[in-house]
Amino acid sequence: MPKKIAFVTDKGGLDDRIYERFGRAPTFTIVEVGDNGEILSIKVVENPGFKAGSGAGIKAVQKLIDEGVEIVIGPNPGPNAYLALQQAGIKSISMLGVTVREALERFLSGK
Amino acid sequence: MIKGLTGGVEIVVASGKGGVGKSTISASLAIILNRRGFKLVAADADAEAPNLNLVLGETVWDSIEPYYEGRYAYIIDEKCIRCGECLKACPFDAISVVDGRYVVNKLICEGCYTCSFVCPTKAIRFARDIVAGYLRIKYETRYGFPLVSGEITPGRPNSGKLVTEVKNKAKKIGGPDSYVLIDAAAGIGCQVISSLAGAHIVIMVAEPTPASFSDLKRIYKLTRHFGIPAALVINKADLNPEYVEYIKSWAVKNKVDYLGSIPYDEKVAYAIAEMKPVIEYYPDTPASRALYKIGGKVASILSNLEEWRLKYLPEKIEPFIPIVIKPS
Repeated sequence: MPKKIAFVTDKGGLDDRIYERFGRAPTFTIVEVGDNGEILSIKVVENPGFKAGSGAGIKAVQKLIDEGVEIVIGPNPGPNAYLALQQAGIKSISMLGVTVREALERFLSGK
Repeated sequence: MIKGLTGGVEIVVASGKGGVGKSTISASLAIILNRRGFKLVAADADAEAPNLNLVLGETVWDSIEPYYEGRYAYIIDEKCIRCGECLKACPFDAISVVDGRYVVNKLICEGCYTCSFVCPTKAIRFARDIVAGYLRIKYETRYGFPLVSGEITPGRPNSGKLVTEVKNKAKKIGGPDSYVLIDAAAGIGCQVISSLAGAHIVIMVAEPTPASFSDLKRIYKLTRHFGIPAALVINKADLNPEYVEYIKSWAVKNKVDYLGSIPYDEKVAYAIAEMKPVIEYYPDTPASRALYKIGGKVASILSNLEEWRLKYLPEKIEPFIPIVIKPS
């Protein structure tokens, strides 16, 4: 089964770095990965939390749910986003200081 | 510098409890670090009561940018049939009848849409992206570094978004090799969470009182949630030396780097009244000497940041789970 993995990003894309905050990150880069770790598709979506006055984390998680994301890789989400991710069954993995490509490689190699 | 970092290093001064000395310490730390050659930008993230600029003696800004956020309802009088449904439904009592017309008090309206759901004639519209506050910028304060300050307009909801914009503006002004010193608001709410998100060091300030210690533990819990290493400064320490020891032993047990204490010193109050950071106005007073010592420690942390972070990073992330009250 292909998996959708979201990366927390600024401008988005494989060469963008993981953005340092979750709820108010500008974009999510959603990568669909096949069973053998091959990239099936890459999509950059705007994060509605970026422009939100309040409830940024919740809006960000809603977007991930709408996009059918199973795993999100980025900074530690805030308290409300954490709870929402948990309830949505989306796994959150903490990774910072790397590009999306590097984060994906690390994730796929199980590091 | 931290490997792989895109923006500057974010240092947050936070305390939970108000009045313990966040802005006073932030102002002096900013000056000390800047003089030691760190490319510093100061950011006031307490938008409800911004006053870091006043501690630094700055009241004239180089640039004031409007900040847009939120919405409020207004009623189109020609469509209104004066049924009073909106007035009954408004959970904030923001609607009243003035000279026979239904009007919304925009200072009270939260923009929750309830009135528009009950209005039978769809007479209610929303004003959006209203000026909710300002980003105020001084490119060079009298102490040489830039200052960015957020200020919320009375009646507008305060939010982490303004804090995010203050931080982003500060990082943009400073550039990727800068150090952004963020003076956080009191409490552990939206603004403070936003100050902490993405930060690299949190300097927690406490005074030796049970009230301050209780709030310190709350702010500490947030640092564990975000996985940010934390340091501690105890202010007004000689007011209760035994309690200082108590807080210090808590810090050691909880992987918090204790940076030192500052004695109670009435010169601090005189310096604030003169709108000068205490280390500038009374460089030889006990509080200033303590601040220089603490500044030196922060400088050495920044010089060996990766090493320090590894030492004080939380072992595991301890999620801060809000209590959710569900209607029965």
